[in-house]
This record gives sequence, structure tokens and C-alpha cells, in this order.
Amino acid sequence: MRWFKADLHIHSVLSPCGSLQMSPKNVIKKAKEKRLDMIAITDHNSMANCRVYEKFAERNDIKFIYGVEIQSAEEIHILSFFDEWDKAQEFDNLLYESLLPRKNEPEFFGDQVVIDEHENIVRMEEKALINSSVWSFEEVLKKVHDFGGFAVPAHVDATSFSVLAQLGFIPENSFVSALEITKKCSAEKFLSQYPNLRKYALIKNSDAHYPEEIGSGFTEYYLQEPTVEEIMFACKNFKNRKIKN
Amino acid sequence: MEISLTDYLDEIDGKILTENVNPEKIFVNDGYVSDLLSDVMGNAKAGQVWITIMRHLNVIAVASLTNLSAIVFAKNMIPEPTVISKANEEGICLISSPLSAFVLAGKLYKKLNL
Repeated sequence: MRWFKADLHIHSVLSPCGSLQMSPKNVIKKAKEKRLDMIAITDHNSMANCRVYEKFAERNDIKFIYGVEIQSAEEIHILSFFDEWDKAQEFDNLLYESLLPRKNEPEFFGDQVVIDEHENIVRMEEKALINSSVWSFEEVLKKVHDFGGFAVPAHVDATSFSVLAQLGFIPENSFVSALEITKKCSAEKFLSQYPNLRKYALIKNSDAHYPEEIGSGFTEYYLQEPTVEEIMFACKNFKNRKIKN
Repeated sequence: MEISLTDYLDEIDGKILTENVNPEKIFVNDGYVSDLLSDVMGNAKAGQVWITIMRHLNVIAVASLTNLSAIVFAKNMIPEPTVISKANEEGICLISSPLSAFVLAGKLYKKLNL
């Protein structure tokens, strides 16, 4: 077993708010520079760019995790991670169908670019990815679990799009074992404010929208191998797996 | 009935955050109270004042998209400077008021003789 340094919240050029400089080459170059062992691409409500970024990561010996940042009906952001592409893809299709129907308007929200492994533009995603799914927070958690994924409520200390901002509390739910806090948040201060959240593992990521932000937030995981299942074990302090911020 | 935004401002102790937008030139005939972007995107209409406690940058994008020209932040909420400068660019008047969303909506309703 060993420590793996991971930044599991990075936006690609597909996210309307993500910079067009977030190409696979630039993302992986920065990840390498920051000595990350694992990264996840987590675009808003879509995994359409995951496979391409995975190719670039693999060529550079960085373990790639399939991820997505889902926006629930309550406008809560939830990171979700998957080990198996088939399951991830099936989930992604259902998620896409569940998005409220609205076309993206790039002049207001930004471009949504799907690319191929040569960094060519394949298409522009037409549906507005900044919109919400019709699934509630708890439905999202259940569905992610059903597809073998691991869901982590995102940036819970943030004043926008977080479970604490939208609901004011974290519903008791057996599928949640970890919460993401923003990179500048002190876990100690956070827990003194919310002592009842001590039972959760707190992880940090960069939530990078620009290349220079990659690796500016990270968590280290003590694992047998770099997989989502092992990360989940670490967050539950299971089988000697653990995390360190 | 339609009123000038300035008339409403006087009622709510409203502080204008966007210095480049002239509230005298904004006329309102209705209001919308919501703290969900997707809801506002689907239902708000031009001529309405949007009363909210949301402060994210996407609030401005959604307001532009739905042709809303005035947003009132309840309970003294004030968004980040980047949000305010985007609103200045888009010509959307941002107002902060100490009143609650309930009272803000009530005062507008009365003022509009609805």
C-alpha cells in the first residue's frame, strides 16, 4: 500500500465555465508538474470528455478516474466517480436525459466543447450543462450507488450550489461517507462550526477551471491501488486505507 | 400598472450596487421570488423584479437570458465584485435591501396595486 496524491475535481473544455485552455495536454502537463498520481475530470452534468483525457493521463502514468459534477434539482453539486467505463457511460446517458431541457447559450454561459484525442473539436454540446437534473439530491446519491459509483457532495462550505447552502443540513444517508470542502477551507474550523459532520471524511480538490489551478487543492489517499473503490474504503477508514489533507 | 424602479427603491431602503445602471430608466410591472436558477430560467419574464438571496455569477447570466433588468438581494446580501461588474456590463440593476424576501415582495405587490 502507498500514498496517492489526487485532485479529483477538474473541469475540462466541456464545462461552460471551464477555460478553453483546459485541453488534455495542458491538464496533464500541469498534473505532472504538481506530481499528482490521480486525477478526475468532473464536468458539469456530462462525462463526454472523460475518455479523451484518460488517454492523455495514461500515457503520462497518471491514473484517471471517470467523474462528473452533477447538479441536482435543488441545485446542489455532487461529485461522482466510477471505476468502470461501461457503467459510467450508462449512468451518463441517464443523467443527460434527466437534465432540464434548455439549449446552451454560449454568449451567456460559455462554450461546451467535446473533443477527440487529437484535441480537435468533435461537436459543441447543445444542451445547457449548467442546468439541473430533475433528480433530487437523494435520488442522485441512490442512482450513483446503483451504478457502482461513489458520490461526494461538492464544496459543502461554499455559499452557492452546496448541500449546506441549499438545504442547510446533510440528510442522513448511508451512501455519503465523504464531503468535499473548498481548497481554502480549514477542516478544523469547519468541524468546529458543524461538529455533527465529524463522522464524514473531508476531502479537498482544486475545482480547477484554469490550468494554473490544477493541484492547488488535493488529498492524499493510502491505498492498495488507485481505484474509486479503494478511495471509498479510505474515506470510510476501512481495511487500513486512510486519507490525509 | 407599471412603476419606475426608483419608486420601489424608496420603499425598501434599497442600496444600488451597480453604479452604471440608471434605475430611473427601468420600469417594472411584476415581481418574481425564487432561489433556484433553473426555476427563474424557465419562468421569469421581462418587466419583473427578481427578489433572491442567491449571489452566484450565474444569477446575472440567467437574468440576461430572461430579460430581467432588476435584481433585489434580500437580507443585505451583497454579491462579489465580479458579479457586480458583470451586471454593470449587462445593464442589470443590482439592489441590496435589509428587508426579507417576504416583505420585499409584499411592498412591491402593494406598490403595483395588484
